[in-house]
Amino acid sequence: MFNQSMSKQIALVDVNSFFASCERAFHPALKNVPVVVLSNNDGCVVARSSEAKALGVPMGIPWFKLEGQAKTWGLVARSSNYELYGDLSWRVMELLSRYSSGIEVYSIDESFLEVPRAVPDRNAWGIDIKAAVHQSTGLPVSVGIAPSKTLAKLANHGAKKKPHLQGVCDINRYPPEHLSQILAATPVTGIWGVAGRLGKRLAAMNIHSALDLRDSDERRMRKKFGVTMQRTILELRGVSCIPLEEERTTKNQLIHSRSFSHPVTTAREIEQVIGIYIQKIGARLRAQGSVAKTMTVWAGTSPFSEGESHHPSVRINFEVPTDNQIQLVKAAHSAFLPLVQHGMRYVRLGVVLTGLLPKTAGAVLDIFETSTDKKNIGLLLDSLTPKVEGVPIGLGRAGMKKPPGWSMRRGMLSPRATTHWEELITVKAN
Amino acid sequence: MRVSGESMLQAGISDGDEVIVDRSKSPQHGDIIIAELDGELTVKRLVITARGVILHAENPHYPDIVVPELSTLSVWGVVTMCLHHV
Repeated sequence: MFNQSMSKQIALVDVNSFFASCERAFHPALKNVPVVVLSNNDGCVVARSSEAKALGVPMGIPWFKLEGQAKTWGLVARSSNYELYGDLSWRVMELLSRYSSGIEVYSIDESFLEVPRAVPDRNAWGIDIKAAVHQSTGLPVSVGIAPSKTLAKLANHGAKKKPHLQGVCDINRYPPEHLSQILAATPVTGIWGVAGRLGKRLAAMNIHSALDLRDSDERRMRKKFGVTMQRTILELRGVSCIPLEEERTTKNQLIHSRSFSHPVTTAREIEQVIGIYIQKIGARLRAQGSVAKTMTVWAGTSPFSEGESHHPSVRINFEVPTDNQIQLVKAAHSAFLPLVQHGMRYVRLGVVLTGLLPKTAGAVLDIFETSTDKKNIGLLLDSLTPKVEGVPIGLGRAGMKKPPGWSMRRGMLSPRATTHWEELITVKAN
Repeated sequence: MRVSGESMLQAGISDGDEVIVDRSKSPQHGDIIIAELDGELTVKRLVITARGVILHAENPHYPDIVVPELSTLSVWGVVTMCLHHV
């Protein structure tokens, strides 16, 4: 239905059930077996293979609620192995970049690719990509091709749901009436960028399907919902409005939050957790060359426990945006520790840095800068920490020889097969 | 990958050696390959004959495995190098 020779075509390539597929890539025994991957600390289900979805395992369910039935279902759980997933993601993206000069890595498991104009058969091009990724990494991908990102997302969804498409769907192949049928069968909240809440407001206007939205009055909708909505409508009509962001801007927010393996009850332990978390998040901040204007520190008790609940949180604004380790830790300690209630069973703590700016942009002379600030202690710590196992060097109580008792529990962790020599996969010669 | 077992001794691959595996290569007759067998990864010499495909062990103490067709065999990659521990 679209003027194909004129319009640019975009492909969305993503890995099916990415985390679960990574676990399978090196463990053929997990093929066709329901697999779930658990959040940090083996808390909740964060990823499911298609077999696990078919069993009706919901996203986010705590593992302790499944553990009992797991054996009878043949369900296998794995701790999240982010190092393995990150490395396999990098390999997939590197491969994809061979198929197009225009690529936007959208998340750990999906990329938008501009289909090169010289490609004679887009469907065959998609099949090539799928085969190449599978051969080189063992991971299954789906490819959706369309004139806009929004439709490429939809095509990708179709490629997964309809087995006869074999994982590749070029939406241009459908005649207009057929495409309208597809859009009519797609609920409006199934469209990229239309969240559930927005869906309720749209339903009130009698817009239920993607087709209803596509055929709505785009100018009126813009007045009511803003320009993002107008873009979505145009994109559904095959007009590309959301360009590829090839250079992802540096992240404007950093988060480090984890659950503890057992509840933490004293301010002294919280003090230590803060020190370690800020050490990790500070290293990421400096690695991307940013300074932060605002830091939020929060902690929480378990939503599943019977006892009293407490969720202290504090927001700290810095006069001068900073990446200074000592300043971050001191500020967090002095603002957050007084909020900690002794004896409360905290199970989770998080540090969030927002209002991130490039370091050079914030180069305002701080006349109150104290002498320690100039010594680049943060960078010094960053250069020392990778050299030894774990986190043995840090500020105050963050510098312990042995990770303390609350550090993460990952009892079902697979080997980091592609990044650690000691953890190579073993192959049988017998 | 790290090798466990002695079935490839005569190909110069010993127990505990590390091998480099190229996943992008398609397996040819005579290659040493990593194949999936009953949910496990195994290292064998690929021998393609008129009668069928044989996964050959390079050690007389270990039997060959006959596969009816190459298409039924899931090949994980081709071994290109071995790091032998002395």
